[in-house]
Amino acid sequence: MPMTLTEKIISRTADRSSVSAGDIVVANADKLYIKDLRFSKKEDAKGLYGVLLEVLESMGKKNVWDGGKIVVNLDEQPPRTEKRAEGQERARDFAREQRAVLYGDDDGGIGHNVFVEHGHVTPGEFIVGGDSHTCTYGALGAFATGIGFTETVGVLATGQIWLKVPRAIRFEMTGKPGPCVVGKDIVLWVAGKIGYEGAINRTLEYAGPGMKEVSIESRLTMCNMAVEMIAVNAIVPADERTAAYVREVGGGEYAPLASDTGAKYEHVHAVNLSEIEPQVAAPEYPANAHPVGEYKGVKVHQGFIGTCTNGRIEDLRMAARILRGRKVKPGVRLVITPASFLAYRLAQNEGLLDVFKDAGANVTSSECGLCVRPSLSAGEVCVSSGNRNYRGRMGPKESSVFLSNAATVAASAVAGEIADPREFV
Amino acid sequence: MSALTIKGRIWKFGDSIDNGNIENVMSGVDPEFKNKVKPGDILIAGRFFGMGASDEHAPRSLKEAGIGGVVAESISNIFHRTLINIGLPAMECAGIADAVNDGDEVEVDYLAGSVRVLRSGRTLTGDRLPDFAVQILAKGGLMPYLKNGGQFK
Repeated sequence: MPMTLTEKIISRTADRSSVSAGDIVVANADKLYIKDLRFSKKEDAKGLYGVLLEVLESMGKKNVWDGGKIVVNLDEQPPRTEKRAEGQERARDFAREQRAVLYGDDDGGIGHNVFVEHGHVTPGEFIVGGDSHTCTYGALGAFATGIGFTETVGVLATGQIWLKVPRAIRFEMTGKPGPCVVGKDIVLWVAGKIGYEGAINRTLEYAGPGMKEVSIESRLTMCNMAVEMIAVNAIVPADERTAAYVREVGGGEYAPLASDTGAKYEHVHAVNLSEIEPQVAAPEYPANAHPVGEYKGVKVHQGFIGTCTNGRIEDLRMAARILRGRKVKPGVRLVITPASFLAYRLAQNEGLLDVFKDAGANVTSSECGLCVRPSLSAGEVCVSSGNRNYRGRMGPKESSVFLSNAATVAASAVAGEIADPREFV
Repeated sequence: MSALTIKGRIWKFGDSIDNGNIENVMSGVDPEFKNKVKPGDILIAGRFFGMGASDEHAPRSLKEAGIGGVVAESISNIFHRTLINIGLPAMECAGIADAVNDGDEVEVDYLAGSVRVLRSGRTLTGDRLPDFAVQILAKGGLMPYLKNGGQFK
């Protein structure tokens, strides 16, 4: 029976010859990602490790299913609250005692970036993670989806998860992205076109000849924002770009997989990438996306470049192209947070951090940063390269967030109002 | 009445309420809700309930407030799974938002996947939960399920 790429991965890990949308299966996870926050006492008074040890004991076990398949990351560096500090201590205890892979300190940054950049994603794998943006890894041809605290404990204890095979939507890409158009613009355009109704609890497959023109970093952005369309996962079939990237970061060997001809899709959308303009998602939903021109002139108090969505080197280079020789408008704040220490070091070596500092931007250490912490006061507006612009996401409910690519953030910080980056290059 | 069949007063909420605004018993939408809701009440929501983060703080606050069950037009996959994993029954039911008024009483059968609105006498059919979800709910959540010998087969 013809299957989509996602169905092939699920059938392999569920030990089934084939699966189709709606089937309930039990999958064996190839990898599990956990962020340090899960080890704090925020969600449960016992913390993740405390709850896990109780479950393991009741099952007559001492250890998790396979420590070598678990990656733990310290997202917040350094911790700024006692709870986070304690959570990181438990995360370190867990990694040591259960022989899990731990990242933090000088090889850290935001977990999803670290996970990808250290070669933990191999095309064809089935990966779950204790954070909603785990779906990012689909960019390298893996099935990846986010899970909650309790489900993370379940996977740690059993290595298994039950799931309903999602219905699939395919985007058949042609053409080539124009100036200042990257993965962020493509995914916001898609969100604006199909809305939540078109994607909720589905698989999104980005394929077609146009994907050859889309960088790995842009693909990571496109899959990262699958959860912003409420999709279960997004996936890009592995191609030559994927192979080169996986080789570069030291990922595993794999046999390339693609969707079969005749695989079942609920919808196939034809997308000409050359027709997509830089996009801005207005408050309060990521799917509220329109061409940047529609918001030109909206006064901006803060720009933020960073996050697991758009804090990679491609984004930092785009921002530097706009900021070189220019200044952030007086009275406007521009905060730049490279998403990982790898991106930070690359930016440093290329002289980009100096460009940012000369422009008057505030460059910070690598972490989730302002995406998860209030930085706006009532009435203020932020243009962010991040993924969420829900009410109150970056401050009180009277503050607002517009989402865009990094070049649009940089251009808007210079102009003091939402600006079209194409007019700056 | 088992925990999978519940009857109670409903509180009706709108579309597109994300995890962050559900935190602390829907305080992002209605800061007073936590003082109004009573144990056993049923939460009705519109489309895309619980979208966004996987943070379990938010769904747990609904359970701690005593909410007996959730019915929504649609629920984000992560949020829906989390509700079930913490032992709070939840199902999707197309048409529910238009079929009820705030304050109505409904009877929800999570096993059969049906909602009966007492005022109108109308019964709506929602999505039946997968067997795993039913088994997990019957044990009160994923942790008690695993601690009592439950396993995925």
